[in-house]
Amino acid sequence: MCSVQEGEDVSPARKEKIVEERTCMKCEKKAVLVTRVNDAFCKECFMVYVTHKFRAAIGKSKLIRDGESVLVGVSGGQASSCLLHLIQEGLSGRAHKKLRFKPGLVFIDEGATIGMSAEERLANCTQVLEIMEKTGFPCYLKALEQAMELEKEAFTNTADQTDTASVTSVENLTKLHRYDKAEEELLALMDSLKSVSAKEDLIKSLRQKILIDLALKKGYSKVMLGDCSTRLAVQLLTDIAQGRGAHVAMDTAFADNRCNDITIVRPIRDFSSKEVAMFNILNNVPSVFIPRITTKAADSVSIEHLTERFVTGLQAEYPSTTSNIMRTGEKLHTEKKSSSENQCAICQAPLDTDVPPSSALSAVRFSETVSRCSSVTLSIFSTDTACCGGGTCQSEGQKESECCGQGDGSCQSKESKLTRDEVESALCYACRLLIKDLGDVSKLPKHILDDISQRQRRTKMKSEIEDFLLDPSNTPD
Amino acid sequence: MPIKCNLCEAGAILKRPKTGDALCKNCFYFAFEEEVHKTITDANLFVRGETVAIGASGGKDSTVLAYVLKALNQRYDYGVNLVLLSVDEGITGYRDDSLETVKRNQQQYDLPLKIVSYEELYGWTMDAIVKQIGLKNNCTFCGVFRRQALDRGAILMKVDRIVTGHNADDIAETVIMNVLRGDIGRLQRCTAITTGTEGALPRSKPFKYTYEKEIVMYAYFKKLDYFSTECIYSPNAYRGFARAYIKDLEKIRPSAIIDIIHSGESLSVKKAVKLPTQGTCERCGYISSNPLCKACILLEGLNRGLPRLGIGKSHKERRKLNEMLAQKEEAGNEKTTPDNSRETTENASSEKSASGSSKQKCENCSCGQKCLAEKVEDLQLDRRKIDPALIDF
Ligand SMILES: [Zn+2]
Ligand SMILES: [Zn+2]
Ligand SMILES: [Zn+2]
Ligand SMILES: [Zn+2]
Ligand SMILES: [Zn+2]
Repeated sequence: MCSVQEGEDVSPARKEKIVEERTCMKCEKKAVLVTRVNDAFCKECFMVYVTHKFRAAIGKSKLIRDGESVLVGVSGGQASSCLLHLIQEGLSGRAHKKLRFKPGLVFIDEGATIGMSAEERLANCTQVLEIMEKTGFPCYLKALEQAMELEKEAFTNTADQTDTASVTSVENLTKLHRYDKAEEELLALMDSLKSVSAKEDLIKSLRQKILIDLALKKGYSKVMLGDCSTRLAVQLLTDIAQGRGAHVAMDTAFADNRCNDITIVRPIRDFSSKEVAMFNILNNVPSVFIPRITTKAADSVSIEHLTERFVTGLQAEYPSTTSNIMRTGEKLHTEKKSSSENQCAICQAPLDTDVPPSSALSAVRFSETVSRCSSVTLSIFSTDTACCGGGTCQSEGQKESECCGQGDGSCQSKESKLTRDEVESALCYACRLLIKDLGDVSKLPKHILDDISQRQRRTKMKSEIEDFLLDPSNTPD
Repeated sequence: MPIKCNLCEAGAILKRPKTGDALCKNCFYFAFEEEVHKTITDANLFVRGETVAIGASGGKDSTVLAYVLKALNQRYDYGVNLVLLSVDEGITGYRDDSLETVKRNQQQYDLPLKIVSYEELYGWTMDAIVKQIGLKNNCTFCGVFRRQALDRGAILMKVDRIVTGHNADDIAETVIMNVLRGDIGRLQRCTAITTGTEGALPRSKPFKYTYEKEIVMYAYFKKLDYFSTECIYSPNAYRGFARAYIKDLEKIRPSAIIDIIHSGESLSVKKAVKLPTQGTCERCGYISSNPLCKACILLEGLNRGLPRLGIGKSHKERRKLNEMLAQKEEAGNEKTTPDNSRETTENASSEKSASGSSKQKCENCSCGQKCLAEKVEDLQLDRRKIDPALIDF
């Protein structure tokens, strides 16, 4: 059947032919740029427009207080360099109304994920650090593998530990690269993830963990990221494609409050990549090109990469694509759950796995059972689809391992490996997909496994005392 | 070495696109049918004693749906009366051939069949509509008319519910389309397994979680007779982009189709966002969020020689129609030209934003007036609103 349904076939406007010579929509000077839809600006008016848009985004949100410490994530790329420049300008005396927060900068080196040599990584770090240090703000350098060694929770009062590589000069750079064991662990984890989509997704969560952890340890209360609208539109569609529909709002909003103590803010989320590029050219803003896991790869290498190509391709033909996608995001919200046990142990977003019988998740579970477990075949007229636990059944060989014997739930025994099912139970829908790609769940970073073990112990404790609890839904914080 | 079936001793003949498991023919049939059964029971789609119309187009989805529902109704004793309901759009060389398939299905499956045609319902065949409007927006007409035609046919047959062959791929595609178009109302509705419970006949999708590829496999191995030519008035290019994107996603991660449906199901819309309320059409009584339903507007346009009426979201056109209807004058020669339509819309919106907020001071910076950035935002917002209205001009 033709699947066109009523009213669903209306497509957005195609690109209009742009007239050669344009004048600025504000004054009558020659235009340098046509922004999102069809507005032409001259250089001066464009600068006013961009600066104002940045200030208005921060002002409107009323989230950033005077004197607040804000950790700014710098990737070396165009957008975060643009953000850094805007912050510097806003804090300078020249600005007609000064920004009054205290920024600190951090660069996370992800060279390990694409097999860069230590020299290459050092060169990249040096370049980015040079840009960061010119600002005079406190600078931090981190490597993605450090996520393998993080504790479950960072404590603000544990002052500068040896494992926080807070580096403020180029000479100290080498200090960063002594995380050999962590690097090996990260590489082993990456290797056991079969798909690039899963790798990308996990890298994103680890990066977020490092940012949050550093912010907590160094006394920052906000993390600021340079995500532009083009980037976020890709993120939004990628989220949808990976089953993260419930997290779309958090992943793309101005403020992301998935972590209790630290809010992530995205003040240039209304900037298109075109505006960012033009701003950087007009202001000679330097940026560093750092290859990522999908650089130079085919479109089909990962879901995010494919989505990026899809959105940018569509944007070239239909200029309202990005703003339409972002408009979808504006109208959505992510429901935040109160207890941390309802957060995904990997991405920290609220769990979206508590679903009714008629749902995609239970349909997927059923499909797996019905085509993997032969005992269901025999019980064809029974509605009971409990798994046989044998034969070709998937849960074979995943018997719960024994605890060290300390029945008080404080068991820390290294031998008590988490089963795949136990790990899954603490993850959101999309992170479960990620885990499906992972050969060995025990390769996950320690802080994630610790978190899951702790939840397991608590669940067990709770089931033991359940009969004596007056209100079982009442959980202590 | 031949691969063994995951479930029994027989040799596997296929790898399930949905789960990647190797299965033999019989175990695949079993898994496929059990999943549809689970979808039906989990969502309580059927009530004993009801009559259920299967929207039959002669294509693979509805052919397999009719076959599977008949089998499941016997196996699990749902106690529903199944009937086939077909719409004849009046497309020579496409629909007349596919209707032959439906008629054969009727005999094979021994189910009553009713055919309603656009010509008898609206006085227009799709061939005649295309002759008047060309190939650009014909799918709009077809989509709107088909939906109503199924409902009207169902009422004639006194059925309690309609089921259609929309599969998981179709639904995932619609989710992506609605995200790309920023259409939050449709985005929210499109993953519901049953729609139209208020007033209209309930309409359900038992194949909501069934992959298109598996439907084809099922039909192939069961040797089901279906008609597989695309509509000669093929759908617009934009939907084609979404379709291609999903096919590419599926190659990267086969579960992507279900993952997108999960995303759609778990979206949560801000409470402040107003969604259109449903009423009924003043003219035909069909469910509609406007005084006149889309089909009546399109029909009015066709009959009055203003075929663009109701295409896109032009409220101006709608207003014009209302005026026309009020005056009850012959307006056959009245035509809208692209230029003045655009001008009026833009003037109207710029007037509105100018009078509405020009006195406000900028709160976010010290510019002390209605600031530039906001003006630009306003303008872009207005442009966005008018964009859809301008599509066809
Ligand atoms: Zn100007
Ligand atoms: Zn997660
Ligand atoms: Zn078998
Ligand atoms: Zn009507
Ligand atoms: Zn202002």
